[in-house]
Amino acid sequence: MLELLIVPWNLFPLAAAEEAAVVDNAFKLLMVLATPVFALVVVTVIYSMLRFRRRGEPTEDGPAIHGPRSVILAWLTVTTGLTILMIITPGITGLRELRAHASEAPDLLVQVQGGRWFWKVTYPEYGVSSTKELVLPVGKRARFEVSAMDVLHSFWIPAFRVKIDAVPGKITTTYATPDTLGSYDDDEHMRIQCAELCGLGHSVMRLSVRVVTEDEFKAWIAESTAK
Amino acid sequence: MAFLPLIKAVLFAAIGFAVGAGATTGLRNLLGMEPWSTEPVVTMGYVFALIGWLLGVGLWDAWAREWFGKQPKEPLHEGWARFLRFSTDHKVIGVQYLVTMVVIMLLAGALSLLMRVELAAPGQTIMGASDFNTTMSLHGIMMIAVAVATVMGGFANFFVPLMIGAEDVAFPRINAMSYWIVPPVAVLLLATPLMGGFDTGWTAYPPLSVLNASGQLLFLLAFLTFGVSSILGGLNFLATIIMLRAPGMSWGRLPIFVWSIFSAALISLTATQSVALGLLTVILDRVAGTSFYNAAEGGNALLYEHVFWFYSHPAVYIMILPAFGIALEMLTHFSRKPLFAYKWVVASLLTVVGLSYIVWAHHLFTSGMGDYLHLPFMVTTELISIPTGMVFLSGLGTIWQGRLWLKTPMLFALGFLMNFVIGGVTGIFLADVPTDINLQDTYFVVAHFHYTIMGGEIFAILGALYYWFPKMSGRSYNEALGVVHFWWLFLSYNVTFISMFWVGILGMPRRVADYPANMADANLFVTVASFVLGASFLVFAGNLLYSWIKGPVASANPWKARTLEWQTSSPPPLENFPSEPTVVGSPYGYGVAGSVHARLAPAGGSKEQDGQS
Amino acid sequence: MAFAARAPAPSHREERAHPHKSRLGINRLGLWLFLLSDSVFFGVLLSTRYYLQGVRTPEEVSQPLGLVLTSVLLLSSLTAYRAETSAVHGNQAGFRRNTLFTILLGALFIVGVGVEWALAFSHFPPDTGYGTVLFTTTGIHAFHVVTGLIALAVVFRLGKDGRYSKGNFWPAEGVVKYWHFVDVAWVFIYPTLYLVG
Ligand code: HEA
Ligand code: HEA
Ligand code: CUA
Ligand SMILES: [Cu+2]
Repeated sequence: MLELLIVPWNLFPLAAAEEAAVVDNAFKLLMVLATPVFALVVVTVIYSMLRFRRRGEPTEDGPAIHGPRSVILAWLTVTTGLTILMIITPGITGLRELRAHASEAPDLLVQVQGGRWFWKVTYPEYGVSSTKELVLPVGKRARFEVSAMDVLHSFWIPAFRVKIDAVPGKITTTYATPDTLGSYDDDEHMRIQCAELCGLGHSVMRLSVRVVTEDEFKAWIAESTAK
Repeated sequence: MAFLPLIKAVLFAAIGFAVGAGATTGLRNLLGMEPWSTEPVVTMGYVFALIGWLLGVGLWDAWAREWFGKQPKEPLHEGWARFLRFSTDHKVIGVQYLVTMVVIMLLAGALSLLMRVELAAPGQTIMGASDFNTTMSLHGIMMIAVAVATVMGGFANFFVPLMIGAEDVAFPRINAMSYWIVPPVAVLLLATPLMGGFDTGWTAYPPLSVLNASGQLLFLLAFLTFGVSSILGGLNFLATIIMLRAPGMSWGRLPIFVWSIFSAALISLTATQSVALGLLTVILDRVAGTSFYNAAEGGNALLYEHVFWFYSHPAVYIMILPAFGIALEMLTHFSRKPLFAYKWVVASLLTVVGLSYIVWAHHLFTSGMGDYLHLPFMVTTELISIPTGMVFLSGLGTIWQGRLWLKTPMLFALGFLMNFVIGGVTGIFLADVPTDINLQDTYFVVAHFHYTIMGGEIFAILGALYYWFPKMSGRSYNEALGVVHFWWLFLSYNVTFISMFWVGILGMPRRVADYPANMADANLFVTVASFVLGASFLVFAGNLLYSWIKGPVASANPWKARTLEWQTSSPPPLENFPSEPTVVGSPYGYGVAGSVHARLAPAGGSKEQDGQS
Repeated sequence: MAFAARAPAPSHREERAHPHKSRLGINRLGLWLFLLSDSVFFGVLLSTRYYLQGVRTPEEVSQPLGLVLTSVLLLSSLTAYRAETSAVHGNQAGFRRNTLFTILLGALFIVGVGVEWALAFSHFPPDTGYGTVLFTTTGIHAFHVVTGLIALAVVFRLGKDGRYSKGNFWPAEGVVKYWHFVDVAWVFIYPTLYLVG
């Protein structure tokens, strides 16, 4: 909970998936680790500017300190330790959490196709597809199989904090487990946003995302099949 | 006629273009193809135009004549006209580079302000998405060129030979050529809007870069040409530093700036070839119909991403290593203390060079490359904090207990430390896969690299412009205006770019002309701040321009610094030193009784004189 | 040695700049650095073949032609080597003869590449997967061969005036080193395009 002291304000926008929590926690942990590094440098510089300043032409040299070995080795030890810590957590631990369920079968499969400049989502299990919105049942782990029709695009849902490029000639995959009900109309972060420059319509290559209850999802599927 | 070589060069370029374009149409006709096809014709026309330009501007007179058994002509060494032609004097080339790059920087800065106006509010304000993309891409590539070439081309040219006590670089004519390759690059880039612009950003990822308007081709040719220039530059500095050090200038006595150029030159010499190939493959796909990036024929966009970043990641160290050198150089002279942990810093610079080759895929965490590559690239990337941290220890250790002389250059060096630490640690946020998956391609990345390049390198460059201004121009700049520029820039810069981290965390994607309304306030704030920031450059430009023409005459060593460039007149004579210096000690022996860096025998005399102030 | 003595130097800066540093050493280092740089280019170029096409080599690739091309180029390295040795020893006739042989062999190689391209065009044109790799790799290599031929022609022409002697042979040496490099590059290209898989 130390993190909360250092990052007291809520920095982050709406988080609506389990993955988002992992990503935000990693960010917070990095803030905690990075702040002292930043503070050390800034404080030393400002202190030196005030304390060691000489006005006018310098008349004398400072002490000839060439760099005592002990100081250098201590610094190396600390920075190496900190680096290793950052690699382990949030790096390795975060990666592990994100991939924890990679081998398990997903609850839902969604094929996502990016083209200039629209998104098309298909639910192969139900034979339904849409270019209007992405609807997901809450609490269900979805597997996204992303592909591109023309150039590179990138499938990003800011509220889920997941992103994967759409590459022509390839299928890339990512997972998300939405855990909050909501839609683009309530919060702009509930959208697929293209995150790889793809030309003229790149900025507006978005698709609204709606997270609904399982029943609503079933109903939506039924309604879409009927059409 | 001062402009004669330039006129001649333009004429030769035009002839070259005609030859190349004519030959291509002729050949196509012969092969039974449609004779006119814009992109192949422009490509070949350009190649010949470039050759024509170089021959016309002086390559023929100064060099190529030799290949035909004739005596080459000696270039002009006096008068301001020498700046307008093929000069082999490294100091002239240094000034040519610096002036060109500062102008490009201001132009690219002006473009960024246009971009900020468009981004001030959601929806369209002053330009459509197409113009925005071109503006943004031009801003990016022009600034990248500035970041790569200002130090390596400008300061390194002027000061490396001086600091190692040499009379010139190892290959003066290649040096001149690498500068004269740059103006065509600028012309090509500025001409891109005439051929439909280019909308891929500076990274030019295919397949978009294969399919879009012909402006893209000009961009590709420009970048490729620029690469040639950097490779030649890197080669020259390596050879110069290895072979031309004055007697006594051992590796352990090399000023840290020279070491930093040595490290950057290693990268520039090798890694640049990779991007050259990447650009070439895109050009071939466009003009020769190959299928590197045509997925239907087994082409793969990831190939380009790997090849591109195999250069472009190391390239960020081409930018920042010399900035470390400059900053440490200024910190030690203005603190009147030896450089802290000199040997460790040298080792760190070389370690960064080594690591720089094995981290590139941290730009590809969301690209769809194999998941098994995430961990190793995360680890190698984060390891770079360790040698970089050593540079920080050196900076902080050097100012500690010093006699700080807070002149403009020193302020910029201190500002460098404060800005770059932010850029560096936010790099860790991006190197960390879980956070990068969200932050990739957002303004968080934009803020990160403006902190490293602008807050880091550009601050160092501005500091260096003030620091070495007296040496290069022979005149002093206005100190009060310099200090005003620093504080104005430092504050407005931080307000502008700190906010971009915030915008990025809010979920603002980069490279967009339009965005959802929830980010409107934050963007407006950034736009206003960026205008305050832009205005600070008027103080800078005014000060240096005026001082160059009318400033008070500077002494040889206004900063009482110990490195060799200050032991000769300002500006230095053609042959740099009246006699070859002999190096006898460390350049940073401040506070060490009796320490001397170099001895210079005055011309014609035998009495020895201390190289110190 | 005082700098001042050289101040009103007559010739251009290239020679003037460094009184006691061996120009030959500087030139050699410069060339090696260039070759190091260029080999990165070839290295990345060859990796594109593996990245895009794996290790599959189509049946239609003409094995006899590949063998002939390789032999011609290796032979030319031998004559180039002899040309260099002749230049170093001031043997004018030997230099001219061997340089000429090298040029002829190089030209023969280019003709061979032309044949290769003509054959390849029918099986895998440049817009197909393998064609892309084959045409690009051989094209870039042939470009190096052509520049090498031009450079050889220049030193051949200059050498006619009896210019190269024991103390002055750098241009010949430099060009020959470059030629060897181009050959070595082919030694890697040949298996990559013809033999793997
Ligand atoms: C001068 C330029 C420069 C420099 C020096 C750096 C330095 C670093 N960069 Fe940055 N970077 C860019 C320019 C630069 N970068 C650019 C232009 C882009 C975007 C390109 C584009 O897409 O257009 C980019 C993008 C970029 C990405 C990809 C982001 C994305 O698109 O998703 C990543 C990811 O790893 C990254 C990481 C780093 C790291 C870890 C460093 C490290 O080298 C930083 C090391 C420094 C420190 C850490 C601070 C000092 C250290 C200490 C005080 C010691 C103690 C500290 C610790 C233990 C943490 N950078
Ligand atoms: C050296 C590197 C450098 C520098 C110094 C800057 C400086 C600035 N940059 Fe830039 N920037 C990049 C390198 C740099 N940038 C790169 C590489 C990209 C990525 C492009 C891509 O994605 O492909 C980028 C992208 C980029 C973006 C993101 C665009 C997008 O993703 O859509 C933004 C947005 O705000 C921005 C803003 C700015 C601003 C406000 C400045 C300011 O600091 C500028 C300050 C202003 C001036 C220096 C001009 C002042 C001059 C005058 C007032 C005088 C008048 C002018 C004339 C006489 C001509 N930059
Ligand atoms: Cu699709 Cu950007
Ligand atoms: Cu990088």
